[in-house]
Amino acid sequence: MEDFPPAPDVAGTSLDGTGTFTISTDENAALCKSTGGKPASDGTAHPIYYYIATQVAMGKSVAGVCETCDFDVEDGPMMGSSGVRFARQLMVGQDYKVTGEILSLVRKKSRKLGVMDVLTYRLRLHPAEGGDAVLETDNVWVLPRKELAA
Amino acid sequence: MTAASTIKAGAALPPFVIESVSPEAMQEWSVFLADPNPIHLDVDVVKSKGLGDKRINQGPINVAYMMNMLMAAFPGCRIESMDSRFLDNVYEGDRAVASGEITAVEGNRVSCDLKLDVDGRGTVNAGTATIII
Repeated sequence: MEDFPPAPDVAGTSLDGTGTFTISTDENAALCKSTGGKPASDGTAHPIYYYIATQVAMGKSVAGVCETCDFDVEDGPMMGSSGVRFARQLMVGQDYKVTGEILSLVRKKSRKLGVMDVLTYRLRLHPAEGGDAVLETDNVWVLPRKELAA
Repeated sequence: MTAASTIKAGAALPPFVIESVSPEAMQEWSVFLADPNPIHLDVDVVKSKGLGDKRINQGPINVAYMMNMLMAAFPGCRIESMDSRFLDNVYEGDRAVASGEITAVEGNRVSCDLKLDVDGRGTVNAGTATIII
């Protein structure tokens, strides 16, 4: 039996966004250039916008998600993994909206980080006018719990 | 990588190389991500947090390098799914090499293992992807 309290019960917390996200031609071009690539000529956006669009337009900021988990963003959340399943390609100029939720927050102990909470949340990107999601992404963050270190 | 005869399990994908990870790109990405975390912008903050003495690349940029490698290997492809694990940081000035290997081909669906290595520190990101060619 571990001698630390359980992680906050946050599974199911909504991350639905209230605004929209639009990938502009200029920003897509700048982003492609910044990664050593070139923008596509067919109107599709760089696929990494799966992460950017969902993260920017979800209903909470990174700091807000951390706060929901009773974690101070200044304590250094770390990306653990990110996965995405695309139903359609992302398009420049299309307005998108985000739905999503926290799936789990699990407290663990590791040799490297001590006590940590593993946060998993799922976000979906939809056309702003409605319809099925064009992608679904699961992100995993590690929240090191320094205050619970032995 | 466009010849159909070369698209088979076990084939290596041509590497995509970033000769020197750019702190200017990190500044741009802080805007793209609407996230001005100073560990990507300010060396003094990185030092004060005990995270080294160079600015740290935002994680999604590292994923983008691997996506670029896929799109260069298969021009016109569509990424159907991708998973990546963040194993270590990438710092300004790092030489980063995204590479991969085909693990399966089923019709026009190609599955690959991916990784991102930096000189001197090995693999910092690893994952899998399925693309439609």
